Amino acid sequence: MKTLAENPLLALRWLLLLGMTLIFTAANSYFLAAGNIFALGESFALLGLVALGLALTMLAGEFDLSGGAMVSVAGLIMLKCGADNALLGLLAALAFGGLVGLFNGIVTLKLGVSSLVTTLGVMILLSGFAVWLEGGQAVSFENYDLTDAFNMDWFGILSPRSVITIALFVITGLMLAFTRMGRDIIAVGSHRKAAGMAGADVRGAVVTTFVLSGLFAALAGALLAITLGRASSTFGANLLLQGASAAILGGVALSGGIGRPFGVAIGVLVLAVLNNGLGLIGASSPAILLLNGGVLLIAVLAGGAPGTWLRARLA
Amino acid sequence: MSAATLSRTSVFGALFAPARVQATVIQIATVVMFLVACAFIENFASASNISSILYSASTVGIAALGLASVTISGNLFALSLGSTAAFASIVYIAASGWGVLPALAASLALGLVFGLLQGLVVGWLRCNAIISTIAAGSLIAGLATWVSDGRTVLAESGPSWLGSGTLMPGVPWQAVLFLLIVIVGEVLMQRTRAGWELRLRGTNPDAAELAGLRVTRMVVLSYVLAGAGAAIPGALIAAQSGTGNLRVGADLDFSAIAAMLVGGVAIGGGRGRIIDVASGTLFLAVLTNILLVNNFAYEVQLMVKGLAVLLAVMAGALLARKKR
Repeated sequence: MKTLAENPLLALRWLLLLGMTLIFTAANSYFLAAGNIFALGESFALLGLVALGLALTMLAGEFDLSGGAMVSVAGLIMLKCGADNALLGLLAALAFGGLVGLFNGIVTLKLGVSSLVTTLGVMILLSGFAVWLEGGQAVSFENYDLTDAFNMDWFGILSPRSVITIALFVITGLMLAFTRMGRDIIAVGSHRKAAGMAGADVRGAVVTTFVLSGLFAALAGALLAITLGRASSTFGANLLLQGASAAILGGVALSGGIGRPFGVAIGVLVLAVLNNGLGLIGASSPAILLLNGGVLLIAVLAGGAPGTWLRARLA
Repeated sequence: MSAATLSRTSVFGALFAPARVQATVIQIATVVMFLVACAFIENFASASNISSILYSASTVGIAALGLASVTISGNLFALSLGSTAAFASIVYIAASGWGVLPALAASLALGLVFGLLQGLVVGWLRCNAIISTIAAGSLIAGLATWVSDGRTVLAESGPSWLGSGTLMPGVPWQAVLFLLIVIVGEVLMQRTRAGWELRLRGTNPDAAELAGLRVTRMVVLSYVLAGAGAAIPGALIAAQSGTGNLRVGADLDFSAIAAMLVGGVAIGGGRGRIIDVASGTLFLAVLTNILLVNNFAYEVQLMVKGLAVLLAVMAGALLARKKR
């Protein structure tokens, strides 16, 4: 009860996660089977990387709208450049993601334009670029060995993609907690002027979050393309809104400075479990949309006046 | 300053002041681009092409106008416009048996109610503005899918004046409606107490609240306007195509945001006018049309639109800095 009183949102996401797991397990015993946990890990990997990158920019007081479109573009670059040599494709996709992130960061800082505006332009540009790269036909990957390697499982439940994603969540968490750059990012997001005067590297911190956001989204797209053996300009379609939802659900504040990768991981897990479970029990598409909206609405209410009211009552 | 001293230079100064320079540049660029295209592109100035520009500008533009009230009052943007438009298109077709105006009123009422609910959540319950509208977008899409069973609804009656009628060749009624909303919106925003309070809420939310302005009411009002602004394009598209479905308004959210930003409305609130939204919309509509009549593919149009947003805002920031 104490945690609930201190932070209703924190307790809420655990309650949601636990409640949904119980309901879905009761509805379909396959929910907790190894095969389904493997599938959950795959959706966690895709949404998780986009949400983590977005959360980093939010932590520094910015916002990267281009992550979803980057997933599509990076998947296509991966397969176009990596047809003969997969490593080359991966490097090209990551380099592109990092460069676009660098552009987002530099334009935002140098021109003093809101990152919402910079990254909106980049997002529209990237979605056009993705359709152009795709060239009206499905892009597939002939390197079946690599695709097979990415579809194998460890202990029946972990895929290479989910392991990579979990590792990046841990590394980012450690970076924020224990490195100077991590502290700078949080300080810059909490109060930019004060952080600058206290000696934090404001420019470095902001640019770093955008570069990491671009890299994470590009990695998510490249790994998705390898795993599925194909790429399409529609892969990133709903990822931006879902990633933003996951970050907020995970306790990241739009105003900056608040939120940690662990919370984001829980937020991503809530959405992944919800959609996986609804698919498993064969929910209709209006039910899926309404429940996604409903969960977000609960989270948003917990962060607003009703949450404050609840906290006062429980304290 | 008295009217007599308002010389030519001060009018020039006002137009190119740091806060106005991007809007002015885009207005000039729109006119220049339009005239050049008329002179050099065959059939660009034909009635059918002008009306196709105006059709696309009217739908995106009306959504952008409603959205601008949310942005100017300091709540960044709403992401529920597309699904509101989709639901409104379904309602319009379902109600089209009653006649054009009742059907338009029915979809408008839908938009007003959804806008009011979001306004109450953001303004009264003080919830996160962006995530509230993402949640609303998902809920509205869910309701619309449930009501329509996920199918496209077809109109029983033929095309109406609202769908494809024209005031004169090249000027569809939809464009007249757009113009009327621009004029009313500009007057309300610049000349009434509510408009003034709305703008001040965007400039400095805390100060506006401390000064005793009707802050909550203004935030609720801005979402009501955004809801209405999203419902009307849904109805217009339905009237024109004779169909209503969930794909109507698919790109509406980000197209409206782009149009508004290109026109010179500041994302952070407080700065920008209703006519700027209109000029940003026209700029993008003319630009897209030029690419279209030159047979550039959809993806090139998208890339150029993204570049236009970036360049307009970057140029605006650079020019504003130079003047300071």
